[in-house]
Amino acid sequence: MPGARDVKRRIRSVENTRQITRTMELVATSKLKRATDRVNAARPYSEALSDIVSSLHAPEYAEYLPVLRRPERVRRAAILLTTANRGLAGAFNANLIREGRQLLEKLRDDGVEVDLHLAGRKGLAYFRFRGEPIASSRTDISDDPTVADAESLSGSLREAFEAGEIDAVYLISSEFRSAMSTPPRTRQLLPLQPSEGALSPEAFILSPTAVGVLRDLIPLYLRNMVYRALVENAAAEQGARRTAMKNATDNAGEMIEHLTRTYNRARQAQITQEIAEIVGGAEGVG
Amino acid sequence: MGALNVKVVSPERVLFEGEAASLVAPAWDGKVGVLPSHAPFLTLLGTGDVNVDLVGGGSARYPVAGGVLKVLADEVIVLTESGRTISPG
Repeated sequence: MPGARDVKRRIRSVENTRQITRTMELVATSKLKRATDRVNAARPYSEALSDIVSSLHAPEYAEYLPVLRRPERVRRAAILLTTANRGLAGAFNANLIREGRQLLEKLRDDGVEVDLHLAGRKGLAYFRFRGEPIASSRTDISDDPTVADAESLSGSLREAFEAGEIDAVYLISSEFRSAMSTPPRTRQLLPLQPSEGALSPEAFILSPTAVGVLRDLIPLYLRNMVYRALVENAAAEQGARRTAMKNATDNAGEMIEHLTRTYNRARQAQITQEIAEIVGGAEGVG
Repeated sequence: MGALNVKVVSPERVLFEGEAASLVAPAWDGKVGVLPSHAPFLTLLGTGDVNVDLVGGGSARYPVAGGVLKVLADEVIVLTESGRTISPG
């Protein structure tokens, strides 16, 4: 049985850990609040823009707009994988990386060359360790992603697609359903997924023309998809971290309880033994 | 005469949402004015200020640089690129 003093030291150490995880939980909670607000604030723009783009979009415009081209065969694809810069968020990063690896393997099995674009230090660390060739990486995107971050990510991918260098672009990020539920999700950015428009373009006076409007709006649309992904990912990260740290805090509490019982037992045993020794000594003297 | 339901939205947030008597926006090829009962209309925006004349008087001004304006059934949505209020009231 460990000595009472050793157990006491363990208890103090676990208490320190609990202090830290509790603080991290509180920090994540307050960041989660702000991140959730940003997700909600970004929604109206996103919805309005998707609505307009999907209603104007028609396959025959591909003749004028290279961004609308639909390659018959995908020879080369780009994966944009977003992860967090920091860990201690449970399975958050692991889930995203697994999703990315599965897509990577699936595409390779189909004979597609894959460019990996990584946003976030965790994904970069993993694929670098595995020795995967990495087309580009970003680790400077903060907890508060900006539209400019999204532009810099989406712009070069769009240009490569327009130039015919790549034939498909996939985006992997966490879907922010709630703080507790943040599953990874793969979405195809390009070629654009045709969707039924809510309004027909004929009903509108268009200025300049449908093609002209789309030429300007599709880059915004793609950027906005990336922006939404970054914002949702940031919120999901905080949610996952809060959950992970709450569990860690609870576990530390349980551990302290258990150790305290062990400590009391050890202390009791020590006292009993001391009494026995004193009694034994007194008998020997008497 | 009815009123317009106007929303001015940037990628990050909703800048303005409310009723307006009219609105003037800098379209890509010159300014356009929107009054209630306007035909369905979709135009790219250039650079300049969107002026919203509020129903109870007063106006709000939002600088835009690119984006799009959509009018449908007295619902006006302005999707702006850069958006800050310069001088409300």
